[in-house]
Amino acid sequence: MSNPWIAIGALAVVALAIPLTMMAVSSLLRPSVPEQGKRTTYESGEVPTGSSRQIKFNIQYYMVALLFVVFDIETVFIFPWTVIYSDAAAEFGMTTALLPMVVFIAILAIGLGWAWRNGAVQWVRSPRATKGADTYE
Amino acid sequence: MQSAPLPETLANLLGLDPNSTAVMIVMSLIGAGLIGTLMMTNTALAGPWAKRKITAAFTDRIAVDRIGPYGLFIIVADAVRLLSKELIVPEGADRPAWDLAPLIIASTALLGFAVIPMGNGIQLADPEVGLAYVFATASMASVGLVMAGYASNNKYSFLGGLRAVAQNLAYEIPLILTGASVVIFAGSLQMSEIVAAQQQSLIGPLPSWYAFVNPFAFVLFLIANLAEVGRNPFDIPEAPTEIVAGYQTEYSSVYFVLVYLGEFIHIFLGGAIIATIFLGGPAGPVLPGIVWFLIKIWGVFLFTQWARSAVPRVRIDQLIEIGWKGMLVLSLANLLLTAVIVGVTV
Repeated sequence: MSNPWIAIGALAVVALAIPLTMMAVSSLLRPSVPEQGKRTTYESGEVPTGSSRQIKFNIQYYMVALLFVVFDIETVFIFPWTVIYSDAAAEFGMTTALLPMVVFIAILAIGLGWAWRNGAVQWVRSPRATKGADTYE
Repeated sequence: MQSAPLPETLANLLGLDPNSTAVMIVMSLIGAGLIGTLMMTNTALAGPWAKRKITAAFTDRIAVDRIGPYGLFIIVADAVRLLSKELIVPEGADRPAWDLAPLIIASTALLGFAVIPMGNGIQLADPEVGLAYVFATASMASVGLVMAGYASNNKYSFLGGLRAVAQNLAYEIPLILTGASVVIFAGSLQMSEIVAAQQQSLIGPLPSWYAFVNPFAFVLFLIANLAEVGRNPFDIPEAPTEIVAGYQTEYSSVYFVLVYLGEFIHIFLGGAIIATIFLGGPAGPVLPGIVWFLIKIWGVFLFTQWARSAVPRVRIDQLIEIGWKGMLVLSLANLLLTAVIVGVTV
């Protein structure tokens, strides 16, 4: 058995070579006709106002990302356990193999419950958006 | 069922020494070229042609039929058309990031196919961490989506990028936890072992594919996969009726091709993961393995296209709630339930 990572590295080379070749072919084929106004960003025909990197965005995107970090690390810890689980259950009995993971997931579930109660996974709409909706009703 | 990886098979076929590293590097490159070509062919068939035909069938139209048999040459025409378009760089684009994003989206998805067993000994590599590797490559596309959204200097792109991240974060964990529940059955992360573990008979002629053993996990995984590849009901990162085209609004010419291509390779990668861990990989009666593998990944592709035509899009608040309150809880329950079932039966 040879090292599998040689083959994976080879696919990485190919996976980069295919898009790069397409870029090279395209750069030979395509025209370049700079024109005023052509490079304006497309915002449904409106004249763009200000930079898009200065707009304020919903803080909740940040909240769910923060929550994700916790659960992502959790999955990293779960994977080794899943690999050995059936062997461990056969050798030491189910309770010994399962109980630590139940406790681990329970702690996370409590964390999720806390985040849930505090509205971290509840998308709150801005007062302005809700106000607009009220007038329609 | 255990067969040598593709580079070794190629070396033996050409009568070269598989123990020499130089031979293996060359054979790996040839094998990688073959796998890359195979997946690019599938994507070329799916993107400009099959997708249009399928969507047309759903909406009672005919779609492309002018050039070649069944309009198949549209693939060539589209390739020439898109590659020869002018590349328009938006004003104020964050240059290195804007150029790198399509590259990342296209190549990371392709990278995942390294460990997928495609039948008839076509598997480029078989590392022990196969499943973890394929999940890692599949989720790297999110980085490209953020870069595309941020660097385009377009408000729609920025919103699309944010939505893409929120969605991928919410559905990544159910996806991986459900994948982990399969590992409990198989007891290994190695792709060939996961496939081999699904070969026994479950009831009569029905094989013990994990989709039959644990249909609940299969359904969870299918739904999370739809979100992962951004197809309806979870296509809010693109949402053509709300934010133009999301993160790909400002991409034209070859960059558009790469972003679009990356999406389709990603759908096929999702299909390949589903086929491997739930549908017995390349296993199936009569036909050779590679044919069954292609049937399975095209089956998943058809499913995503059906969902795209038939299921309405969810809103961002619904998306977050379905992901964090529904899918996550269900996938944790599924994981523990699987562990109990396996624990009782061993």
